[in-house]
Amino acid sequence: MGLHFEDLGRADALDRGGLTAILFAMTDTRTLEAGCLCGAVRYRIAGPLGKQTHCHCNLCRRASGAPVVTWVTVAPGDFTLTRGILRKYRSTPQGQRGFCAACGSQITFDALNLPDEVDVTAATLDDPEAVHPEKHIWTGSRTNWLIMNDGLPEREAY
Amino acid sequence: MSQDQFYTGGCLCGAVRFEARGEAVSTSHCHCDMCRRASGAPVVTFIGFKVDDTTQTKGAPKIYKSSAFAARGFCPDCGSQLTFQFDKHPERVSFNVGCLDNPELAQPTRHLFAQEAISWMKMDDGLPHQEGGSGGRS
Repeated sequence: MGLHFEDLGRADALDRGGLTAILFAMTDTRTLEAGCLCGAVRYRIAGPLGKQTHCHCNLCRRASGAPVVTWVTVAPGDFTLTRGILRKYRSTPQGQRGFCAACGSQITFDALNLPDEVDVTAATLDDPEAVHPEKHIWTGSRTNWLIMNDGLPEREAY
Repeated sequence: MSQDQFYTGGCLCGAVRFEARGEAVSTSHCHCDMCRRASGAPVVTFIGFKVDDTTQTKGAPKIYKSSAFAARGFCPDCGSQLTFQFDKHPERVSFNVGCLDNPELAQPTRHLFAQEAISWMKMDDGLPHQEGGSGGRS
């Protein structure tokens, strides 16, 4: 749920505890706008952010052309395409990546065996600072010159 | 450094493949908003070559004109980000290092657009930071 203007109006009449509850709800589930480089694809996240993960696997690296990709897991019902469509590429038997056909921006990852999750790339959010990465995965494939030293937990595989 | 090295690379699905031979002109991390949007990644690393030292060995990238002065190439089938080229330097092309078969052959030397870096993507590698880009010089 998001915070709406009606809630702000009502907040005047609320006691301090109620206001705190609304502010907490706002920070926990605020709506995030996002999209590709060319603007043909836009999407919205309206709900809490789940797992927030740096992935060092070879497939993410190839798709992005970058040394690491940061993913945010959300509920499929909280993900809405607000403009354009995603072209899908089946990168593994259980994995499917969504990208913009006009500029190639990497936007989503769907694990077909996890239908309750969709992953989006943190870097396509208009405000990537809304993300707070929690761990590194597939560090066995990490590029040796990618030195982050951010103190986050590391897993050799998933 | 990278003199007389031989590089091979390509996209995730394999539709586009390329090679480069010789000395890299530049190897840089870029933190700019456009590179981040295109890749979906918090930082992108490029290795630049003279076009004459490179060969498209399979397929061809789709070109997206990302600004008034540069264009990016990606695989039309899987979206992999592959190339960056300044209009005023058609004799040079940069490859996305993530698409190299062995990205560790690349030896990054600097961070570009460091002021745009995401707060959680600070890299602790001791390389110099610069506020802008390469200005089309590399």
